Amino acid sequence: MMLQDILQNIVSGASIGATYGLVGLGVVFLWLTISRINFANISSAMLGAYLFYTFYTMVKLGFFLSFVLSVSVIALYGLGLRIFIYEPIRKRGGGRLEFVVATLMLCTFWLNLIIVTYGALPKPFPPVFGGSKDFITIGSIRIPTLYLNIYLVIAALMVLIYFILNKTLIGKSFRAAAQNREAAALMGIDVKVTTSLSFVMATCVVGIAGILLAPIYFVSLELGGGSIGVKGFASAVLGGLTNPYGTILGGISLGLLENFSTLYISSTYRDIISFSVLVAVLILKPSGIFNWKGKKI
Amino acid sequence: MKLNKVLVLAIVLLLGVAALGATIKIALVAPFTGLGSILGDYIKMGAQLALEEINAAGGINGNMLEMLVYDDAANPSTAANVVRRALFQDNVVAVFGPNMSSAVIGVHPLAQQAKIPMLVGATSPSFRYTKIPNDFLFRLRADDEVKVVQLVKYAVEVLGIKKPGVIYGSTDYCLAALEVAKAEFPKYGVEIVAMEQIKEGDKDATGQLLKLKNAGFDGLIGLTHESEAAVTVNQLRQLQIDVPIIGFSAWGVPAFTDLAPEAAIGVYSVQGFNPVDPDPAVVAFVEAYKARWDGKEPSDPAQAYYDGMYLLAEAIKNVGTDGTKIAQYLATKANIFGVQGELKCDEHHNFTNVCLISQFDGKDWRIINKMF
Repeated sequence: MMLQDILQNIVSGASIGATYGLVGLGVVFLWLTISRINFANISSAMLGAYLFYTFYTMVKLGFFLSFVLSVSVIALYGLGLRIFIYEPIRKRGGGRLEFVVATLMLCTFWLNLIIVTYGALPKPFPPVFGGSKDFITIGSIRIPTLYLNIYLVIAALMVLIYFILNKTLIGKSFRAAAQNREAAALMGIDVKVTTSLSFVMATCVVGIAGILLAPIYFVSLELGGGSIGVKGFASAVLGGLTNPYGTILGGISLGLLENFSTLYISSTYRDIISFSVLVAVLILKPSGIFNWKGKKI
Repeated sequence: MKLNKVLVLAIVLLLGVAALGATIKIALVAPFTGLGSILGDYIKMGAQLALEEINAAGGINGNMLEMLVYDDAANPSTAANVVRRALFQDNVVAVFGPNMSSAVIGVHPLAQQAKIPMLVGATSPSFRYTKIPNDFLFRLRADDEVKVVQLVKYAVEVLGIKKPGVIYGSTDYCLAALEVAKAEFPKYGVEIVAMEQIKEGDKDATGQLLKLKNAGFDGLIGLTHESEAAVTVNQLRQLQIDVPIIGFSAWGVPAFTDLAPEAAIGVYSVQGFNPVDPDPAVVAFVEAYKARWDGKEPSDPAQAYYDGMYLLAEAIKNVGTDGTKIAQYLATKANIFGVQGELKCDEHHNFTNVCLISQFDGKDWRIINKMF
């Protein structure tokens, strides 16, 4: 196999894997602050893609405006999730199970709302990140612009997240609340604000993942209920459910594993191989292999 | 007592009203949700157009047709549930669909049990009458054995492909087509150099395409559903692998070209239907469809169900609403001219073998050849 082909495989596998990692970040942010798993996590991806499609292709607003508007709506949705789903359940004494059931139903709700509003046929995503014939040539290696742009956006996002979490006061409060919620509250940190930030970050990051995945998955229902949600969760688990950067690495590993199993073993057994490896990793190192801070789940 | 008398009177009146306004109920089972072929809207719009035309012309012997629509979510077990309901609870006279071959294979025995005819657009050759003799199962368009035979012929004789590489899906529709291809290529002395599978819902074909390239293929034979076709063709262009591409019926539809408008240029496909076909029957159908459905253009298999509704109407007109009689009539006497040309039941219980070979030019599928 030519070097070009192997590199091509690495590029596409890692790129899609990084988006799985983004989906996993949605799981991680919420887990860190409220210790809950949002089963409608992946719906944010579908909503993000459909919103962008609406603003860009249907209303014809231009890339930048469509992107900003889509993310803003998703951010509001995140706030709405906290105010209308999380808080009421918590106030009435509901625990993890109730939240799981509620978000599971929410996931189905969004799928059906999209079917009713947009129809069930997948829609083409506009080639804003690069069409099928756009390449960047580095030396003798050709990389499709699409994958390069996915990397750039995710890299920029990770820098932004690092900045927010480590260089801002609210980020510090977030990390404090993640470490110990009660102590943080006693220290005068407004836990409501950090929880809101957590919901907004979780939904926005997954919404952006949806927009990045839409050129590959099409603007379709598969973005909101298929195997991507599971793969996102798997990436989060590989990162120990607590380490955002580990989650991205976990996702990239998963993407690479998928691509190389197809290439060297079999396309039919690809999913079986991926998940067998995942289960093996969990048995051998339950705290996740990309969890270098050693935090327990 | 008074209440009892009133109740009895009410029931008698209701029955009387019901007997007067008797409609002929037909079930339409199609995929409106789910992964895989979501062609439900085309199917419903084709069937309903015919139904409305028939009713406007006075119905069948004065009785109006009524269509009950069910979603089988492109899933065999959901299809079984809704078909059961249609046959045993809603007392329909006939069932159109399911459209997905795997669903048909699961549910057709129910039609036999209920003695109600089932007319499907599903194209897998595995339920041909000669293989599965169900007197109540009929097919409304050419099946895939016919289409793949034509595909292989064109690939070898015209495109000059000597080392075909196949990419195929995992549903019965795809697997049956693969079997036909495997049997056909050797007849021309050509051997398939590699076969790679892409499952429905998968969005990455890079590995499969690289393997095909390494096997030295000089032509891609596409036997997948629409979404996977778009993924394959997009990534083939990205990998800059330059070979002729010919796909079978799921490749020759807008559900595929809409998702890969640039990448699909130059792709060949076998089609069951082409909206720019200059045949007057097709032109009339396309115009009527556009007029009824806000300018939307019909796509395969809308025409099959349109023709099917007229076939059924013809049968009911001649023999009434008894399922066994309708099935017998359809199998032996039914003969009309529809959008797909002459419709007559053959030994496989297929009503037509029409298919086209076309090439996508960026906007339409340019017809190269039409065979009946």
